[in-house]
Amino acid sequence: MNIQEFLTIFISAVFVYNVILSRFLGLCSFIAISKETKPALAMSSAVMFVIVMSSAITWFVYRFLLLPFNLTYLRTISFILVIATFVQLVEMVIRKLSPQLYRAFGIYLPLITVNCAVLGVAVLNIDMFFVNGKVLVGSFYYSVFQGVCVGLGYTLAMLLMSGIRERLELCNVPKALKDFPLAFIIASILSLSFMGFNGFKV
Amino acid sequence: MRNLIKEFTKGIIKENPTFVLALGLCPTLAVSVSVANAIGMGIAATFVLLGSSLIISLVRDFIPEKIRIPCYIVIIATFVTIAELCMKAYSPALDRSLGIYVPLIVVNCIVLGRAEAFACKNNIARSFFDGLGMGVGFTLALILISAIREFLGSGQILGYALVKGFEPIFVFGMPSGALLVIGLLLGLFNLLKGRKV
Amino acid sequence: MLNNLIVSGSPHIHKPESISRIMWTVVISLIPAGIAGVIIFGWGALWLTLAAVAAAVLTELIFSIWTKKKITVLDGSAVITGILLAFNLPSGVPLWLPIVGAVFSIAIGKQVFGGLGQNIFNPALVGRVFLMASWPRYMTTFTRPFSYDAVTSATPLAMLKEGKILEHISYLDLFLGKHGGCIGEVCILAILIGAAILLIKGYISWHIPVIYIFTTAVFTYIFGSGKLFGGDWLFHILSGGLILGAFFMATDYVATPLTAKGQLIFGFGCGLLTAVIRIWGGYPEGASYAILMMNAATPFIDRYTRNRIYGTK
Repeated sequence: MNIQEFLTIFISAVFVYNVILSRFLGLCSFIAISKETKPALAMSSAVMFVIVMSSAITWFVYRFLLLPFNLTYLRTISFILVIATFVQLVEMVIRKLSPQLYRAFGIYLPLITVNCAVLGVAVLNIDMFFVNGKVLVGSFYYSVFQGVCVGLGYTLAMLLMSGIRERLELCNVPKALKDFPLAFIIASILSLSFMGFNGFKV
Repeated sequence: MRNLIKEFTKGIIKENPTFVLALGLCPTLAVSVSVANAIGMGIAATFVLLGSSLIISLVRDFIPEKIRIPCYIVIIATFVTIAELCMKAYSPALDRSLGIYVPLIVVNCIVLGRAEAFACKNNIARSFFDGLGMGVGFTLALILISAIREFLGSGQILGYALVKGFEPIFVFGMPSGALLVIGLLLGLFNLLKGRKV
Repeated sequence: MLNNLIVSGSPHIHKPESISRIMWTVVISLIPAGIAGVIIFGWGALWLTLAAVAAAVLTELIFSIWTKKKITVLDGSAVITGILLAFNLPSGVPLWLPIVGAVFSIAIGKQVFGGLGQNIFNPALVGRVFLMASWPRYMTTFTRPFSYDAVTSATPLAMLKEGKILEHISYLDLFLGKHGGCIGEVCILAILIGAAILLIKGYISWHIPVIYIFTTAVFTYIFGSGKLFGGDWLFHILSGGLILGAFFMATDYVATPLTAKGQLIFGFGCGLLTAVIRIWGGYPEGASYAILMMNAATPFIDRYTRNRIYGTK
C-alpha cells in the first residue's frame, strides 16, 4: 500500500477516467439534474455518500461471503440488493431524523439506487483490487478511496455542468439543440478538456 | 393481435428508449465503440428485458406494493446473472470488451423503467411484445450510434474497411466522440420532429 | 436583441469602440506572429492560416443564413478564431486539417451556444483539442525551423518530457522562435509585440496573462526538476503555447470571468493546470487543456466573485 497508488486512483477517478465524462456512469442523472446548481449539489453529495458506503459494504460482502463460499457469480444480485437496501435504510433514517434534510434531497435517494455509478464502482473495485480471486494488500482502503474519488469526480462534473447550463439559460441556443443535445455537446467538450490529464504519472 | 403488434413497434420509433425516452444512456455510449459490441449488448439487454417483463407481468398481482422495486430488482438481477454467465461461457471475448457494462444492465433505466411503467400493469402477452419492442429499439439505436462511431473512428464497420484511404478520426472512438455523436443525433431528431409539427 | 447586450460590472464607460473595431485590432496584433511563422516555417504557414480563416468565416456565414440571424462575419471574430487555430498547428499538417478544425471550432465551439458573446469555451482551443484527439500523429509532427521542407524535429517541451537534455537551444533561440513548434507559438518576440498593441489600447488587461505566466513559472521552478526549487522556469515560460495562450486565448472576453478577482482566480488556475500537465501529465504541453478547463469553471467563478450590488447583502 503506497501513496503513489492512492495518487493514481485520485487522478484517474477524478480526471482521466472521470465517472461521467469518460465511463458514462451516472449519465442519466447527470443530464437530468445538472440544469441548476442547487439540485446538482444535493444530488452529488447524496451520490458521494451512497457510493462510499456501498463501496465499503460490498467489499465486505465479497471478501467474507462470496469469495470464501465460491459464490462469486452472485456478485451482481447481492451487490444490487445491498445497494437498494442501504439506500432504503438511509431514506428512512433521514426521514425520521430530519424532515428538512429529507425535503432537500430525499427525492434523489431512490434514484441513486439505479445510478450506474454506484453499482459500477462496486464492480470496478472488485475487478481492480481482487486478482484471480485473491485479495490485494490494502484492497479495502483502495476501494473506499476510489469510492471517494469517484464521488469527487461526479461532483466536479456536475458542478461544472450546472454552472455552464445556468449561464446558457441567458443565451439564444438553436432550438433543436436546447436542453439535452447541448448538454451532451458540452459534456463532449468537457471530456476533451479532461483528456489533458491522460498519461498522468506521479 | 393488432394491438400486440403496436406494442412491439412503438418501442422502435415512437417511444424509442434511447432517442425519445432518453433511458439507458450509460451503457449506450460506453458500448457503442464498435458494432459488434453493440449487437452483443443489444441481445443481452433484450434477453433481460423479455425475461423480466414476462416474469414481472406474471407475478404482478402477488407482489406487495411497498416492496415492489426491490422485488423487480431481484428478478432483473437474476436474468442479468444468467446473461452474464452465458456470455462468459460462450463468448468470453465479447464479455471482456463489454466489461462492467454487462452487470450494469441491472440498473439500466430501460429495464427497470419498463417494469415499473408497463409490465406491472399489463398482461403477459402485451408485456412480452412491449419488452421485445423496447429491446429491439434499443439494439437498433445502439447499432446506429456504433456504426457512426466505428466508421468515423476507425474507417471500418464490423471489421470491414468501407472506404479506401479514409483517414480515421480517432476522437470518435473516445468518450468525447460518443457524447458528441449522441448530442448531434438528438439535435437532428429534434430538428426532424420540429419540421413535422 | 440579446446579442447587443453587453454584460459588465459598473461603472460603464462609453467609448467609440464597437465589437468590430476591437476584433479587427486583435487581428492586426496577430500579424507579427504570423509573419514570424512564415519566416520560420515557410509559406505553408500562410496557406494553413488562410485556409483556417476561410473555413471559419464560411462556416459562420452558413450558420448565420441557416438560423436567419444577422450576418456577423464582418465583425472579425471568426477571422480571429481561424488565425488562432492555425497558429496552434504544426506547419506540416495537410491543408484539410485546419479546414476541418475551423469548421468544428465555429460550429461546435461557438454557434451551438448561440454565437458571438455566448460561447463558454474559447472556440479556437475547442478546435485544437478536437484535432489533437482526432489526428494525433499529424498534430505532433513538427518540422525543423528554416528547413522549409519536411525535416522533422521535436519541440523543446517534447524533448524535456522525454528526458533528453537540451544543449543546443539558448533562451534567445526560444525567445525568437528558432525551434520546432506550432506556427504562431514559437516566436515570443512577435507575440509580445502584438500583445503590447492590445495592452496599450486597453483591449486586454494585464491581470490574466501576468498571473497565468507567473503561476506557471513559480510552479515549474519549485517542481519542474528532480529536486525541489531547481526547475528551469525561464525555459518553461518561453516554450510551448504558454505566451500565445496567456495573451490571446486566456483573455477571450466571453469565456473568462468578469471581475478582477475572478480573473485572478482564472489566471492562477490556468497557470497551475498548465504546470501540472507539463510536469506530470502525459502530454508535453498543457496550455490548451488548462484554459479550456478554466473556461468551464468560469460560470462558477463568476457566480462566487460577483461584485456586491449596492444595497444588497
